[in-house]
Amino acid sequence: MMRERKPFRTETTGKFRLFLIMMLVVSLGAGFSSCTSQKKAAKKKAAQELAEKKAKAKSDLLAIINDDGRMTLEEKEFKLAAVKRMGIDDNEINDLIGQAEEILARERAALERKKEEERLQREKEAKERELREGGQYRAINNSLDAVAGAGDVASANMRIREALAAFAGEDVPVLILISREGEIKDYDRPTTIRKYLEFIKDQKKSPNKVLNAAFDSNGKIKELELIKK
Amino acid sequence: MTRILSIAAALIIAFSANLAAQDDISPSRKQAIDSLALEKVRDLSKYISIVGNKDTPWSEANRVIERTLELFADGALMGVSSINREDVNYYGIREYLERLMALNYDKVTISWYNIQYISDLERQPDGRYVGVITIFQRFEGTTKEGLRYVDVTKKDVTVYVERKTTQISGRIIGFWDVLLGDIRVTETKPG
Repeated sequence: MMRERKPFRTETTGKFRLFLIMMLVVSLGAGFSSCTSQKKAAKKKAAQELAEKKAKAKSDLLAIINDDGRMTLEEKEFKLAAVKRMGIDDNEINDLIGQAEEILARERAALERKKEEERLQREKEAKERELREGGQYRAINNSLDAVAGAGDVASANMRIREALAAFAGEDVPVLILISREGEIKDYDRPTTIRKYLEFIKDQKKSPNKVLNAAFDSNGKIKELELIKK
Repeated sequence: MTRILSIAAALIIAFSANLAAQDDISPSRKQAIDSLALEKVRDLSKYISIVGNKDTPWSEANRVIERTLELFADGALMGVSSINREDVNYYGIREYLERLMALNYDKVTISWYNIQYISDLERQPDGRYVGVITIFQRFEGTTKEGLRYVDVTKKDVTVYVERKTTQISGRIIGFWDVLLGDIRVTETKPG
């Protein structure tokens, strides 16, 4: 009886081993296949991400290149820097980066030039304001402006009397420079300080400022040269 | 002989052209005198409104008349029109201003606008520059009884600009003398 049972056990054990081996092979096969498909999926995902990156980079670069003034220079520079940080190795993207860099460099240079021009203009205006308001002829300019700004005839006449006190006489010549080209100076018809003060009273405007004044030994103005403000 | 005459003529033409070129002024100087002449017309506009204004004291109006006369060439005429008649009357400037001052209205408002060149200043053979500036004048007069007369007149002002020199404190000063000539009425419409 024992002899009969032995072969049965051996047979069963053999079948079981075979089963185990097959299971092992199947699971190994399945594992290998799952690993391969995971790798494929990862690769596909990476490719998709790269394509998306490229598309985004291309769209941003084209937006920079074709911008019609809707974006500020800073926005464009920020976008370009972001694209460059992506580190995409693609000929088309690299070309677009090159084009965008060129455009932004031009725009930056124009902006710097404009800033410099504005700075120079501000300096010029400040200088002119200084001459007009705080220059050596400030008092005379103020007295001219006061006549022009007087509210009525009586107060304008009072301002004229006050202004005339600074002059050697009512007939002090007044020259108004209208153009200067090298050595050539062109003036309006010469007038006198009395007539000029009456002119600015009548016109209610003081269009000129003092360019030069000559003083006599008493410190009174004996000649006045004006120029357009 | 013909050849000698041709050469002489060519030389004379070349010499004259050279002289003319020397008399030409640069664009920036020309622009300065253009502006100066326009300014004189604007000044005149202000003077006329002062003289016409019934609130201007008599002495002030007379003083302004004297200043106004200094803007004009001798013998210049001012055209005066009305929507109530066909003719345009021309008066000497002093007479025009005195009539303006004496107008039988309680209130007079005169304003000039659209002041611009219709004929640029051009150099004449005598060296003077002559141009024409056009202006629109709106006149409004109101009587004591409240009756209003309003018209808009288009006028052409001839301007003469001449380079002159004068001596000031021993120095020779070159200046541009702008003188206004006749002021002609070209159109009158109810305002």
